[in-house]
Amino acid sequence: MAKSRELRRRIKSVENTRQITKTMEMVATSRLKRAQDRVVAARPYAEVLADVIAGLYEPGLAERFPILRQPGADRGRVALVFMTSNRGLCGGFNANLIREAQDRMLELESRGREVELHGIGRKGIGYFRYIGRELASARQDIGDHPTPEHASEVIQPLLERFEGGELDAVEVVFAKFNNPLSTPPTRLTILPIVTPTDRLPVNYLLRPSADEILRAILPMYIQNQMYRALVETAASEHGARRTAMKSATDNAGDMIDYLRRTYNRARQAQITQEIAEIVGGAEALKG
Amino acid sequence: MRITVISPERAIYDGDATAVRAPAYDGLVGILPGHAPFVTLLGEGVLTVENGGERHEFQVRQGFLQVVEGVVRVVAEHAEKSKA
Repeated sequence: MAKSRELRRRIKSVENTRQITKTMEMVATSRLKRAQDRVVAARPYAEVLADVIAGLYEPGLAERFPILRQPGADRGRVALVFMTSNRGLCGGFNANLIREAQDRMLELESRGREVELHGIGRKGIGYFRYIGRELASARQDIGDHPTPEHASEVIQPLLERFEGGELDAVEVVFAKFNNPLSTPPTRLTILPIVTPTDRLPVNYLLRPSADEILRAILPMYIQNQMYRALVETAASEHGARRTAMKSATDNAGDMIDYLRRTYNRARQAQITQEIAEIVGGAEALKG
Repeated sequence: MRITVISPERAIYDGDATAVRAPAYDGLVGILPGHAPFVTLLGEGVLTVENGGERHEFQVRQGFLQVVEGVVRVVAEHAEKSKA
């Protein structure tokens, strides 16, 4: 008797949980759709930028542009920007990003480079503060809908310090959005610039000179890489949350099935026992 | 010729044009079909796209314009369609 009441209570509780995870799954699905559209919509801009830069770039430029300087690969100060989500309940999403960022940080430090951390997203910031790592900057206000302005606010100060020689590299750890089920943590070197050179040079008429145009376009290119990392991470978060909530909903369903079966068996056993007792009692009275 | 107007967030316009007037850094430039490959920086102002009788206007700021193989790409840091 007491056992079946306990089972009823648990079934009710798991049903409530399933309701919540189901709702979260649906919310994530609809947000994912919009975030995914933003990822796709941002592509043409990046492509044309890379195309034009490849068309104008020539190796001699590096000496004249501080933004193109190529410090030696194994010394100096690195800014590591890591992105996580502001909210949890998205499976291993944040844990994976944090691990990637931490591995990279340790790897760089073991090679004798100074690393400063820039955190975007509450979960990662919380982790690094917890292990007692100082962060050079921390932003939790870039949520679901990152804009090019957000990207510019993050990268602009770093870019200026890179040009001034104070920083020697800027790397980003973000969640690449391959598709909603595949969102691997990924590392991207934003500075020094890896120039896109996979395109055929075109003989453009230029106004003003190639130098002037590159001076204006290169910062746009840098900023856009940061923007894409933000947008892809936002989309990946929703993908990861949808997957996590879907499996939570499925598991809750399995658990309810199992509890119902157990409950029904207990109920049946009790009825059988009561009948047996009544029959036994009647037999005894007959004497 | 084809023209696409692209901002960091999305492609705002993609279609055919018979003439384009764009605010370059040093004044308006006009692009007609058959233009040579061309890259110029943009200033701030109104980009006009004409296609036969149709006419579209966009407010653009910063970025560049590229003409290559009969395709005009206007890539602006800020771009939005002007209200008709």
